[in-house]
Amino acid sequence: MHCLKMTAVEFINITKKFGSFFANRDISFSVEKNTVHCILGENGAGKTTLMKILFGMYRQDSGSLKISGEDIRFNSPHDAIAKGIGMVHQHFMLIDDFTVMENIILGNEITKGIRIDFDKTAGILNELISTYSLNLDINKKISEISISAQQKTEILKLLFRNSDILIFDEPTAVLSPAETDEFFKIIGKFKSSGKTIIFITHKLNEVRKISDKVSVLRRGMLVYESSNENRNLDLNILSQAIVGETVVKANTEKADIVFPGNDGRNAISLRNIFLKKDNVSRLKGLNLDLYKGEIHGICGVEGNGQNEIIDIITGLETEFEGEFSNPGCSISLVPDDRLKKGMISEFTIGENIILKKKSSNFISERLLDRISTETAEKYDVRVSDIKSNLSSLSGGNQQKVIFARETELESDVMIFSHPTRGVDINATVFIHSKIIEQRNKGKAVLLISSDLDELFALSDKISVIYNGAIAGTFGSEELSNFRNEELIRKSDESTGSPLSDKIGKLMIGIKTE
Amino acid sequence: MNTKFRINLISISLSLISTLLIVFVFLLILNKNPFEIFSVIFTEVFASGYGIGQTLFKATPLIICGCGLAVCFHASLFNIGAEGQLNAGSFVIALVALKAGSLPFPILFILCIVCGFVVSGITGIIPAYIKIKKGVSEVITTIMLNFIILALVNYFLVDFFAVKATMHTEKIADSNMLMKFSDIFPFFEGSSLNMSFVIALLLAFASYIFIYKTKFGYKLRAAGFNETASRYIGININKVILLSFFTGAGITSLAGINYIFGYKGFYEMGFSSNVGFTAIAVALLARNNPLGIIFSSLLFAVLDYGGLSVNQLVPKEIMLVVQGIIILSILAVDRIVKSYFEKRGIA
Amino acid sequence: MELISSVISLTFLAQVLRLMTPYYLGASGANFSERGGVINIAIEGFMNLAAFSFVLFSILTGNVTAGFICAVLINLLFSLFFSYFTVKLKINQIVTGVGFNLLIAGLTKFLLVYIFNSSSNTERFEGIPDLEIFKGIPFAGTVLSDYMTIFCFALIFISGFVLFRTKYGLRLRSAGENPYAAESLGVNVRLYKLSGILISGFLSSLAGIWLASNQNSYSDGMIAGRGYIALAAMIIGKWKPVNIFFACLIFSAFEALEITLQISGTDFPTQLIQMLPYLITVLVLVGFIGKTKPPAADGVPY
Repeated sequence: MHCLKMTAVEFINITKKFGSFFANRDISFSVEKNTVHCILGENGAGKTTLMKILFGMYRQDSGSLKISGEDIRFNSPHDAIAKGIGMVHQHFMLIDDFTVMENIILGNEITKGIRIDFDKTAGILNELISTYSLNLDINKKISEISISAQQKTEILKLLFRNSDILIFDEPTAVLSPAETDEFFKIIGKFKSSGKTIIFITHKLNEVRKISDKVSVLRRGMLVYESSNENRNLDLNILSQAIVGETVVKANTEKADIVFPGNDGRNAISLRNIFLKKDNVSRLKGLNLDLYKGEIHGICGVEGNGQNEIIDIITGLETEFEGEFSNPGCSISLVPDDRLKKGMISEFTIGENIILKKKSSNFISERLLDRISTETAEKYDVRVSDIKSNLSSLSGGNQQKVIFARETELESDVMIFSHPTRGVDINATVFIHSKIIEQRNKGKAVLLISSDLDELFALSDKISVIYNGAIAGTFGSEELSNFRNEELIRKSDESTGSPLSDKIGKLMIGIKTE
Repeated sequence: MNTKFRINLISISLSLISTLLIVFVFLLILNKNPFEIFSVIFTEVFASGYGIGQTLFKATPLIICGCGLAVCFHASLFNIGAEGQLNAGSFVIALVALKAGSLPFPILFILCIVCGFVVSGITGIIPAYIKIKKGVSEVITTIMLNFIILALVNYFLVDFFAVKATMHTEKIADSNMLMKFSDIFPFFEGSSLNMSFVIALLLAFASYIFIYKTKFGYKLRAAGFNETASRYIGININKVILLSFFTGAGITSLAGINYIFGYKGFYEMGFSSNVGFTAIAVALLARNNPLGIIFSSLLFAVLDYGGLSVNQLVPKEIMLVVQGIIILSILAVDRIVKSYFEKRGIA
Repeated sequence: MELISSVISLTFLAQVLRLMTPYYLGASGANFSERGGVINIAIEGFMNLAAFSFVLFSILTGNVTAGFICAVLINLLFSLFFSYFTVKLKINQIVTGVGFNLLIAGLTKFLLVYIFNSSSNTERFEGIPDLEIFKGIPFAGTVLSDYMTIFCFALIFISGFVLFRTKYGLRLRSAGENPYAAESLGVNVRLYKLSGILISGFLSSLAGIWLASNQNSYSDGMIAGRGYIALAAMIIGKWKPVNIFFACLIFSAFEALEITLQISGTDFPTQLIQMLPYLITVLVLVGFIGKTKPPAADGVPY
């Protein structure tokens, strides 16, 4: 071990603007060699932008970068890779139709004459796989392997390029708790082999667990820095630095509705559903019941069948086996990916709403303006010009418009899929209260989320989905016990509670009983 | 809305200016005097009632066909098959006008329009259906259908309906022809401009209402902007594809009215002289807005008629080159202008 | 009966292989462009442009080689222009392609009248001479005496090797599958897209040259949708060189049949015979396509 700390990366007065918006503003800090450095901040705080500058994907408008003390100006990721920098992006940068090996060597192919030397490459990769015990089949296509295997492919990319500085952008967001533990072990191995790790996240407990140092960004500026060598970060200070104000808790008070159970208020029921898409089984004997006046949370790693459930209930998917019954309930959906599935960004608020609202066949400008104004007032949509397109609104405001459209329909069944993803804290609070409101109105609510805190705070019942089937369901009693435990646990911060442990295991297919 | 309109106007003007410059240079390369050519076009087109009338006459099928394409384009359906579609419908219009010639004119006229619309519409439904059922892009199928339909029309015309040794049907009764403008306004003396032009204007207004002011129009445009989201919002995409293709292709058939009821009185092979393709440029230039299409059609009509008038100086085919240049400069200039304003945070 | 026997003959087979040439050249070209993620409808126009400029410069210089080189260079220039629209400005590729096809169609029509004083065709000229060595071989001789047909056979293997066994191919395909991933690994996506378009411009120029050379003249509308049919062959061939070859054979077989029918003088209406290639294209697309999967980012501007 060196006594003298060496600097791996130094950011000096980095500023980056998109249009008139400051993504990064005068950011200066340094990352020391052979440490795990966490960068924290809300969505849109500028973390990813800063990392993309470090990785040569963006160029800063002003300021400079030093790598190991040397002034650097990258023109492309290629330059950054040559300097030993590697990045695992939040959305994996993988090519589905390529094999693991092809994905890894792309850009750094080993050749024999003009052809790629696949044999030699395989030898090198398999050695790396066994050194870091990654357990990966390099001849499989990306479309055939699990999310965590895809992440390992990303990690292997960096190792193959001998990267010394590894950037991870929210690596654990897609992992189950057990996979996260495995991932942290790999990080440990990297550190002990002398690498520097920059780790972007917004999960505070992870930060405390693995970081040596943290930097917090807010609105594009560096607002807080702290060392964590003794693993004793003050999470309260940290979370305040992230949000910039005391965290507001949603009003999760629920009206006292007697849970109906099976007394005929069953809204939707799926029985033994099997679904195949492109020859892959997506649902394997799934059972699910939605009751009126109840929030049914679905918890699980993404891609285990959540979207297929939505497609069946909304009627978009009809080629399944099994019994789906809907006794005439109308259905509304707030989808997971609002840009892709939720809205027409070239339309105004009113135009987006009129698409679903009952109205006459002729639509006047006046009507649209009225709808826009009313919606903006009632749902606290902040917009400077009522005639502007949705694309000019922030993520949270867009989500509120979609919420307005769907909840105003007063459908019997409400589906919310990752309702607060990429939404700031104020909008989150607002949206949570609206979800509770729907339940209190007696709607059957299906809440799909990967945020356990959100699920625990809102759900009356939680089902864990794994591999196309429900792996376990926890009712209101268990959940309220859990909530009480949680209050006690807050003070002493031991490891997870028995319930969240159990759910975590179910999410990756381990049954405890 | 206002800034958007202004930016569109800037970009359209710039693309026309750049087209003018390119053509100018092109003519210089060919060792022709651009000023002479432009001035001939200008005087031929605008200096006489005849010139103006002929220009409006040439604009008529472009307006009609452009509106039909606009319906498809708004739904992001790249209908390249207008040439075939409009010929199928026009052929049927001429046949019905002949066979049912004894009916009172208003009834005959409406019957012709309905028959032509439906036949063209059906030729539009074919690529729509193939797209829905098999996921085959409409671009290739509509192009192939152009060849197929024109061959079929040619076959039926030559083998069954044509006047001997010609490529056209028999002429309909004079009493069934539409009124010419020159009958009322001597100003247009000698020009073929007829009531079809009024029909085209009415159609443009109707298309505008259909696309921008009706619920189906909103759904159609939503599907064009974002198909996945529209599906989740509950829009029946297949219905949108079928209906917009049917409507769009159907509208193109009316382009034949100008020639059949307003000009010659019969259907003739090749009468459309690529209106189906020119209309693509017409619609693009107008950003698929039917009211804008009226103006862009006028511009292309000036080119078309102007081309004829300068044929002595430079082959009239030059106007096909100009059309091509216009399309490409609209595309390029529009993108450059929009990104210029985006960078400044205006759009 | 006579017709059937004339179809089942080696001469017919040789004809099918020969007529395959422009389709395969066009389809392979389009495939390189699409593997890089750019839909190239302009193949039709490129073929047209090359056919015209080949004839024009061959006649002007009196030298087929010079005509050939000019045609290829002009096509590469237009390909560069096409990639400026689709790769640099990121304009919708289909609309751009349609625009190019209309511009080129107008340009050739205009120049045909302007230079050759005819709205239908140029004067005749001597096309590319045959390859003499193999000419004597019965049946195979007609096929093997054509440089470009031989090149097509080689191209099956060349494009397979280049696309799937070389660094260039891997990177080109990555640009068409997931340009963001490719860029993150330092692959210069735009450069590869550009290269794919240039290759498509080059190969489609060969297709146009072949057509003009075999006809010994240029005539208006002579490409007659072969570029679009080549695109259909590429789709049916699932973007794989060998499969594309067989798809092209289907279309050339029907073209050969069309010619045989016209020569045999059946009382079957000629218009309907001429319609055959296009009808077959639509039918085959409808019948075959089912589950073909284009490159994931095909047509998406980057």
